[in-house]
Amino acid sequence: MSDQRGSVRLFACFAALAVVLGAACGSSAKQSGTTASTVAPKHGGTLIIGAEQEPDCMDWIASCAGSSWGTWLAEIQTIPFAYRTVPANDKNTGELKSVPGPVLTGEAKLATTPVQKLTYSIAPQAVWSDGVPITCADFAYTLDQQQHGTDLYDQTGYLDIAKVDCSHGAKTVIVTWKPGTSYASWKALFSGTVGILPSHILKGKDRDALMKDGYSWSGGPCIAKGNKGDSIELTHNPKWWGTPAVADKVVFKILPDTSAEFQAFKSGQVLAIYPQPQIDVVDAISAGGLTGANTLYNSNTATVEALWMNNAKPPFNSTAVRQALAYSVDRDALVKKLFGKLGVDKAVNSLNPYVARDYSNPDATAKYHLDLDMVNKLMTGAGWSKGSDGVWAKSGQRASFTINTTTTNRRRELTEEILQQQLKDAGFEMKISNMKSGDLFGEKLPQGNYQIALYANNLTALTPGLCTLFCSKNNPDTHGGNGNNWSRANVPAADPLLEAVDNNLDESTRMADGKRADDLLATDMVALPIDPLPDILIWSKKLGGPIQDNSIEGMFWNIDRWGLAS
Amino acid sequence: MLTFILRRILYSVPVLLVASFLTFWGIRSTFDPLARFRSSRDSARLVAQQRKALQLDHPIVWQWWHWLSGFVRGDMGTSWRTHENVSEMIRRASWPTLQLLFWGTLVSLTLAIGIGIYSAVKQYSVGDYAFTGLSYLGIAMPPFWFGLLAIGLLVTYPKTHWNLNEPILYSVGLHSEGQSGLNLDYFRHLALPVAVLAVQGVAAWSRFVRASMLDVLNADYVRTARAKGVPRRKVIFKHAFRNATIPLITVVALDTAFLIGGLLITEQIFAIPGMGRLFLDSLLTGDAPVLLSWFVVVAITVIIFNLAADVLYGVADPRIRVS
Repeated sequence: MSDQRGSVRLFACFAALAVVLGAACGSSAKQSGTTASTVAPKHGGTLIIGAEQEPDCMDWIASCAGSSWGTWLAEIQTIPFAYRTVPANDKNTGELKSVPGPVLTGEAKLATTPVQKLTYSIAPQAVWSDGVPITCADFAYTLDQQQHGTDLYDQTGYLDIAKVDCSHGAKTVIVTWKPGTSYASWKALFSGTVGILPSHILKGKDRDALMKDGYSWSGGPCIAKGNKGDSIELTHNPKWWGTPAVADKVVFKILPDTSAEFQAFKSGQVLAIYPQPQIDVVDAISAGGLTGANTLYNSNTATVEALWMNNAKPPFNSTAVRQALAYSVDRDALVKKLFGKLGVDKAVNSLNPYVARDYSNPDATAKYHLDLDMVNKLMTGAGWSKGSDGVWAKSGQRASFTINTTTTNRRRELTEEILQQQLKDAGFEMKISNMKSGDLFGEKLPQGNYQIALYANNLTALTPGLCTLFCSKNNPDTHGGNGNNWSRANVPAADPLLEAVDNNLDESTRMADGKRADDLLATDMVALPIDPLPDILIWSKKLGGPIQDNSIEGMFWNIDRWGLAS
Repeated sequence: MLTFILRRILYSVPVLLVASFLTFWGIRSTFDPLARFRSSRDSARLVAQQRKALQLDHPIVWQWWHWLSGFVRGDMGTSWRTHENVSEMIRRASWPTLQLLFWGTLVSLTLAIGIGIYSAVKQYSVGDYAFTGLSYLGIAMPPFWFGLLAIGLLVTYPKTHWNLNEPILYSVGLHSEGQSGLNLDYFRHLALPVAVLAVQGVAAWSRFVRASMLDVLNADYVRTARAKGVPRRKVIFKHAFRNATIPLITVVALDTAFLIGGLLITEQIFAIPGMGRLFLDSLLTGDAPVLLSWFVVVAITVIIFNLAADVLYGVADPRIRVS
């Protein structure tokens, strides 16, 4: 899906010594790290961190909380999650894994027959900041809100749940699905952007009114306080049953301007920043002045920027033409132009972001590299011939098309300029027509009124959701205008495989089917992945603690473990 | 005087009504408040839900009238973006802007008057030429560029090259963590944003003061006063300057009023959560209730400052009567 919910995603990147991932991990992955994790923090003190965006509200399940920044800055530290997404190792490779959150005693037990059933065991010592235990009632309340609450942002995964059973004790939660339904990404439930909400505080009341402007309770290591427009402060939750936060206070200062953000960091007014992977950020980093700072650039992220072709509209209603376009583009050179200064110079080769590589073939589109001979072969084989202007033509139709993307995004504009030249050399004529995000995602793509578009697929959990994007049943043209298969992809062999990834509860089947689906989609060239949007972490040497990137939960996922360097 | 004020207020009402409708129509036509939902995973349901909640299916005239009906009752509505009370958002955003305006105007006026008087009295001197050149530089200098330059030179450079524990001046917000009130920390934060404001203000207003002073200094009554032996300082400050302030009052009042909503760049660069930033955040998300209320508040402020300018005319010059 596009780069919303994450309209502002900040991703990390690069360092002087790049660690090249093995082929099994994906040829495009490039990673480098520093040794910040070896710097021990001292207890106490106040950390001042820069944040590019303030959450619009703090009612995390409401429509106003669509920005990832809210989750990164405040939700993770105050709302208990059934499952957390955390780095799989301490080597800054970008790999992530789902682990039970501190609110659980261990892994949830999954039963698949006769219906899907999950049993959570809540930690006996888990309590809210007012001392009231976290219980099954909180799960039940959260489910009720996700199913029947007002002004909800995303109900995915919750509507097929039949009930939450609390009859086995306050600390035992049994979640049962409706017959005939299942949800493979169950680890994302009561986690991610929803979490577990306190029933004793919110039940029977206006949840939105009590949460949107901030709340003084917590089920995490910190209590958050928002100073609208200025900052968000995290302080200790005195009832937190886990390891207490290292610093006394963390203050996220809202710094919306990128240049000012860098100056604030260089001058020591903030100790860390997490900027977007935009051209001006890359320029600011390469311009220097970050001595005394640690930097980490991670291209193994949860986002892939791709070229999405309308498979139902000329000229891309031909597989040969789509494949020819893929062979016309030097994607590595393009990525190098965008992020080469950060050491990221390899394209991605799967429509699944790196974090979901277990369910994909990370080399699915590796065969598509610049090969003008192959372009000629494919196009002539499909009946095209080059006109006097050097542009392919067939039956009076020229291989001329328009690309759309969002305006005021310099990275994407630069991508288009590079593509335009590369495609011209291969005999394609590409025009550029950019527009506001609302017009692109609200009208042009859903209505199919486009030929090729440039935008990102961004995951907010470790499991992919390619069926939403490529299953035939989600083609809006054939389903009353509903469905997010904006590419109008029609690969019948891939449909059952993609559905299995979403619904089959057997992990090995999901992984195998996901890989096969990836290969089929690549052969059909439904869309062409280009670049990983790297995460960029910059922090002062005055900071200590296990600072690592986390492409799902953000750089600050473990900020309760950060402190001033001892 | 009272009749004049009341008449001015009455004339403003239809202007505000028409302008608010045009603003609303422009916002609704240009920015889509549902844009940030359209690419979410659950977009179909979410967009339908929000369209209904925000009453976007009604005609634009109806939507505008609905907002206006609430506004005249003191209810500015609820932000489509944050679900917060709009009047609270504007109240909170106006305080930092007013602080910037106050100090910026004070510094600009003080410097502009001093430079303008000097330039007029010492016309064609080296100092006059120097101030003229600097004024044009100040007028031409983009605020965002000057602001970032100032941060680089006066905040970052001293801190990094002299290995200071903390910067001499600050570029983030109006207070350091844990600080409040009128103290040295406050002024260290205020220095650069005020300087950015003052550059343009001093440059423009000093030219104005200079021109007005030159007009007055060449008047017959000033020449007569000098001939009568009135001390030079008294001639300049009591006689000439007082008459020269009349056009300056107009310019300062209007410029200051427009700055209520015009500190967008300064507030963005220095991370000050004022009216400018509120405007930008709301504009990019098509948050019509906030934008409309913001617009009306700014328009009313301009009208008040305009009125104040007219009143001050009478104070500055007893010959002026408004009827």
